[in-house]
Amino acid sequence: MGMSKTFAISFGIKNTYRVNSILYGLRQIPLIKKLLPDSLYESRGLKVFAGVLSALWELLSVFLGKAVYLALIFAAAAGGIYKGDDPGRAMLHIYLILTFVGAFVNTYLFNPTRDKHYAIVLLRMDARQYALIQYGYKMLKLLLGLLVLFPIFGRLVGLPLWQCLLMAPGTAGAKALAAAFCLFRYEKNGTYPNENMLGKLQWAAILLLSAAAFILPAVGLMVPELFCVGLMGLFFLGGLAFTGKILRFQEYRAICQAMLSQMLSQMDQASGAAKKQTEKLISPEAGITSKKAGFEYLNELFIKRHQKILWRSSRRIALVCACVFLGLLCFVYAQPKVGEELGGRLLTFLPYFVYIMYFLNRGTGFTRALFMNCDHSLLTYSFYRRPKAILKLFSIRLREIVKINLLPAAVIGAGLSLLLYVTGGSRRPSDYLLIVVSILCMSVFFSVHYLTIYYLLQPYNAGTEMKSGTYGLICFATYLVCFCMMQVRIPLFLFGLACILFCVIYCAVACLLVYRLAPKTFKLRP
Amino acid sequence: MEFVVDGVIKSFGKKRVLEGASFTFESGRIYGLLGRNGAGKTTLFNCINGDIRTDGGSFLLKEGEEGRALTAEDIGYVLSTPVVPEFLTGREFLKFFMDIHGGSMEEKKSADEYFELMRIAPEDRDKLLKDYSHGMKNKMQMLINLMAQPRLLLLDEPLTSLDVVVAEEMKELLRSLKEGRITIFSTHLLDLALDLCDEIVLLHHGKLEPVDRSQSDRKEFKEKIVEALREEDHGNE
Repeated sequence: MGMSKTFAISFGIKNTYRVNSILYGLRQIPLIKKLLPDSLYESRGLKVFAGVLSALWELLSVFLGKAVYLALIFAAAAGGIYKGDDPGRAMLHIYLILTFVGAFVNTYLFNPTRDKHYAIVLLRMDARQYALIQYGYKMLKLLLGLLVLFPIFGRLVGLPLWQCLLMAPGTAGAKALAAAFCLFRYEKNGTYPNENMLGKLQWAAILLLSAAAFILPAVGLMVPELFCVGLMGLFFLGGLAFTGKILRFQEYRAICQAMLSQMLSQMDQASGAAKKQTEKLISPEAGITSKKAGFEYLNELFIKRHQKILWRSSRRIALVCACVFLGLLCFVYAQPKVGEELGGRLLTFLPYFVYIMYFLNRGTGFTRALFMNCDHSLLTYSFYRRPKAILKLFSIRLREIVKINLLPAAVIGAGLSLLLYVTGGSRRPSDYLLIVVSILCMSVFFSVHYLTIYYLLQPYNAGTEMKSGTYGLICFATYLVCFCMMQVRIPLFLFGLACILFCVIYCAVACLLVYRLAPKTFKLRP
Repeated sequence: MEFVVDGVIKSFGKKRVLEGASFTFESGRIYGLLGRNGAGKTTLFNCINGDIRTDGGSFLLKEGEEGRALTAEDIGYVLSTPVVPEFLTGREFLKFFMDIHGGSMEEKKSADEYFELMRIAPEDRDKLLKDYSHGMKNKMQMLINLMAQPRLLLLDEPLTSLDVVVAEEMKELLRSLKEGRITIFSTHLLDLALDLCDEIVLLHHGKLEPVDRSQSDRKEFKEKIVEALREEDHGNE
């Protein structure tokens, strides 16, 4: 097969993979999903649209990453870390060391990717040609990107243009040298680097060198400018000299196959990993039993065998919260002035706790374990899917998760009230009650919320993959709302009342919806 | 008792999988449901089990002249890959199941008697199900499905991944339990179907068809089945 044909095919594969990924991604978005036809992957218009996106991405990839990279180095050199009067030298110093690290960590030659797998293993294309074409193309992108971008940032820190222009061939040369070095080593002892799986030693070296790059300039220690420029020049010449090695090397197929088979076995492990991970949460202790019967029996055993993520974790959170409040109380006692200010703020600070309660809630872990370790299997049995059974178990589970989350909530509510009292208090005695009740309500809200969306959307399929875009969106929206609540300052009385009212109404509506709809929605996704 | 499948239709998007499948299954017999890959065997089972909705037709259970719709209690459905709740022990799973079905189970045995029936060793009975081997999980799943004494027992490729000893045990068990119920066994292993089943039903072109076994020896019968399924090639074009 000719070079140009290999080139065309390799890009065809990459592009098809990307286009189909984009189409698949589109399908995951609710609403848009409904508009798309079943024969999505046949639709010419959509393919052209995704193809344009893919081409744009290819174009951007020449500049985008490198621009961010250089901007970061520039920011560090021009005042971010180095505060002296020679930012040009600082930039050269950082860039030189990072280039050295990058040459080995990202050689462009030893990166196992899916399109490589398709081309070399499945289509049995000429591995050497394929590897070299991909390599050459990436090198060209690197040269082009750096030739355009480095002068922009380099001139800003006062580097002469010829130095800026030298960086592109210097960097490419460094990469070529590193690649040639790896190939020599492969010929000698058969080892090759896997860039997706760095060892501890390599990570340590990377950290050390990156620290040298960024921290030394801060204390005024830098590689001399002439040395930097000279070395880059040497890299370029050296890289040129060893390009022949890369071109003549014959064993790309052996390396690629070994590298790709390793990648595939990792992927296989990853696909069942979520399930296995959740299975590990099951406590194997022999002493766990239950005297109850039926669904209560099932539930009690579940709760007891998942104490790691349920009661034990909730008790720990409660303990930590209690310690924090104790610390705060001591602090306020020692520094009454700061305390007074704190007390004043507390009166408008309640919305902040929405975010905190969001983080402390055990709901997501609970529903996940419920599915992976329990419902995933039991939902295949018809007795378990009877509407009565679903609703009975829902009410039991709701009761349990509410109880589990209430413990830390009670500690936080009591702690806050106490803090308010000690720091000067409120004129309205009802405020104390309001704090406790609204914190408890928030906790109940999150418990109900997670269990409800689990029962109404049941986002997983039989292979334990998350299949519902709507579920993901709701979780994200929940986070967003809670995050925004941090910015809100509302008087305690108003917020407390609104919060309680909202939680009560939400819980009522949610439970009503579950009782109406869950018998139909709570099943394995196809 | 009879199980009547009447004109069942199911399509996914534009693809029609079941196109008016009709058949009457009789009590006390084991039916082998044969079909080529992708013929819709699992789809049919999922429709019977109520996992997916049909686009038309009905499933009826008939006793005498009276027919009634299937309920969840009528059906036992054994999947090809066994799934069991990992956080329970074998014994706990049995107890939970017996609690739920307390009233409706006709003959009650002790947990150990059930384990005995499935030849699950005493030392395994109190282990967590997550530590069971594939074959043992399969036995557990089968046991749970048999305990409720379903009138209709659906088995989707259940023996393919079992070792020879367990597979032989399972076959024995299925034969011994066939009285008083309808057993439908889906597979694409022809020999297995001929060994175990009293009748062979083909699923192709989205329809159910019996194959007449009388007056033909095993070899002729096999050829007949393969021939019937092969015709499908023309139908698809």
